[in-house]
Amino acid sequence: MARSVTNQRKTINTIAAWAVGLLIFFPILWTILTSFKTEGQAIADPPVWFFFDWTLENYAVVQERSDYMRYLWNSIIIAGGSTVLGVIIAIPAAWSMAFVPSKRTKDILLWMLSTKMLPAVGVLYPIYLLFIKLGLLDSRFGLVIVLMLINLPIIVWMLYTYFREIPGEILEAARMDGATLKEEILYVLTPMAVPGIASTLLLNVILAWNEAFWTLNLTAANAAPLTAFIASYSSPEGLFYAKLSAASVMAIAPILILGWFSQKQLVRGLTFGAVK
Amino acid sequence: MSASRPNRLFRNKSAKIAAIPMILTAMVVFVGGTIWTVAYSFTNSKLLPRWKLVGLDQYERLWDSRRWLVSIENLFLYGLFMLVLSFVIGFVLAALMDQKIRFENTFRTIMLYPFALSFIVTGLVWQWILNPDFGVQHIVRSLGFENFTFDPLYTADIALYGVMIAGLWQGSGLIMVLMLAGLRGIDQEIWKASRVDGIPAWKTYVFIIIPMMKPVFITTLVLIASSIVKVYDLIVAQTGGGPGLSTEMPAKYVYDYLFGAQNLGQGFAASTMMLLAVLVVVIPWAMLEFGGKKRV
Repeated sequence: MARSVTNQRKTINTIAAWAVGLLIFFPILWTILTSFKTEGQAIADPPVWFFFDWTLENYAVVQERSDYMRYLWNSIIIAGGSTVLGVIIAIPAAWSMAFVPSKRTKDILLWMLSTKMLPAVGVLYPIYLLFIKLGLLDSRFGLVIVLMLINLPIIVWMLYTYFREIPGEILEAARMDGATLKEEILYVLTPMAVPGIASTLLLNVILAWNEAFWTLNLTAANAAPLTAFIASYSSPEGLFYAKLSAASVMAIAPILILGWFSQKQLVRGLTFGAVK
Repeated sequence: MSASRPNRLFRNKSAKIAAIPMILTAMVVFVGGTIWTVAYSFTNSKLLPRWKLVGLDQYERLWDSRRWLVSIENLFLYGLFMLVLSFVIGFVLAALMDQKIRFENTFRTIMLYPFALSFIVTGLVWQWILNPDFGVQHIVRSLGFENFTFDPLYTADIALYGVMIAGLWQGSGLIMVLMLAGLRGIDQEIWKASRVDGIPAWKTYVFIIIPMMKPVFITTLVLIASSIVKVYDLIVAQTGGGPGLSTEMPAKYVYDYLFGAQNLGQGFAASTMMLLAVLVVVIPWAMLEFGGKKRV
């Protein structure tokens, strides 16, 4: 429930809020605008805002220098694969925690979430060695596994909070009707939790998509996703801002579009556990 | 198997089996990896891990290193400011948004956009905006204010705060959405009652609403704290730790020793210290959050 306010206050608040929104959005807008300028206009003095010769040249150059589609495809496989795999593993675990809680359920949850807070550098080297031994370095499969493990605690925790809202009596009734455990989870629980599962999927796709620490360290040419693509353009001496902007826009566009069309699930996903 | 009437024992067993894959993988990777790292921090491994124990040598070197001490100090300052500013900005924005503004959903999505960008992109974009020759300073000067100076990333004294701008930009939308969810969870009657009693709005916030939002604050705190300890990509994309040592961070120290300086033992010792520091923060929080409550 929001506070009720007068119409005049509402207008003032709206203006104030949108001023903040514009300020927040400005860096993204500026990057998008710059990506359509020539290098000269990008650093023009005084800066040009909207009235310049719009050009797609930067995009063409970036595409020519590095194969965008390959990075994009890697990102989709890695972010999507790790999230789907994580949810498949997490559903049974979250089910058991939500409906058959034992004395240790809370401890396990807590312990799991605390692994999320450990600095990743602590396990980076052992995993790096393991990857060399198993030949998983620079492979999409290896990254799918690692990112799945990294995000698993959050996936389990989110699913657990959604499952807990589902009344256990319904599952009980399904069992009375002779449903096996598999049927109970697959045909009764999962369909009821679809909104929660969708939010979980979405948030974790974004987290995995943006994961730079692991993707940069464990990939080279073959499995590199868009984070590596954009990092390859960030040389301190090369001040090609228009091209850098074009590369940035290409890297963030998929996620901005996805976010726009799934606002509701995204917000729901982000507020997990905060409202009880 | 006949599962038409599973008894309690069977339910418990299958519940444990269901949770096994997750617990097992988490065990092997996190606990195994961490123990390995801690163990090898007592060796003098250089380019490759070698099991040759040297006691606490690596730790002595670590605490003698000026770079490490500066990193710790930077992280502390960064963390303190980020924590306070994130909370204040997030809460003020949420309170503003809670007053039924128009086009609320669109506004909320715009505020969340920065969160959907990776730290790499965030860092690059802000490194450019704060660049004195192209960014804010340049634009304001071209408007006629010739003496305007704003180049935080290139001035050692304030570079840390420059890096913070990008961090706040990226995170405050998320904090706002969390806090808004908390504000929306508060009963409308409370606002009515406080209005009847003639209590000013800010007093209602400070003395009634904020104390009621404790669960939201705890979630927010955990999220912010865990992102602070991990701060790495943002620094690398913006300043690379410079100018000088002014934006060095512990995670970067570890990373540089592991992959740059080829001094594994030193890197492991530093990451063990980070681990200890996290535990010092996490354990009291865990006691507070879960310890006092009745078990399910």
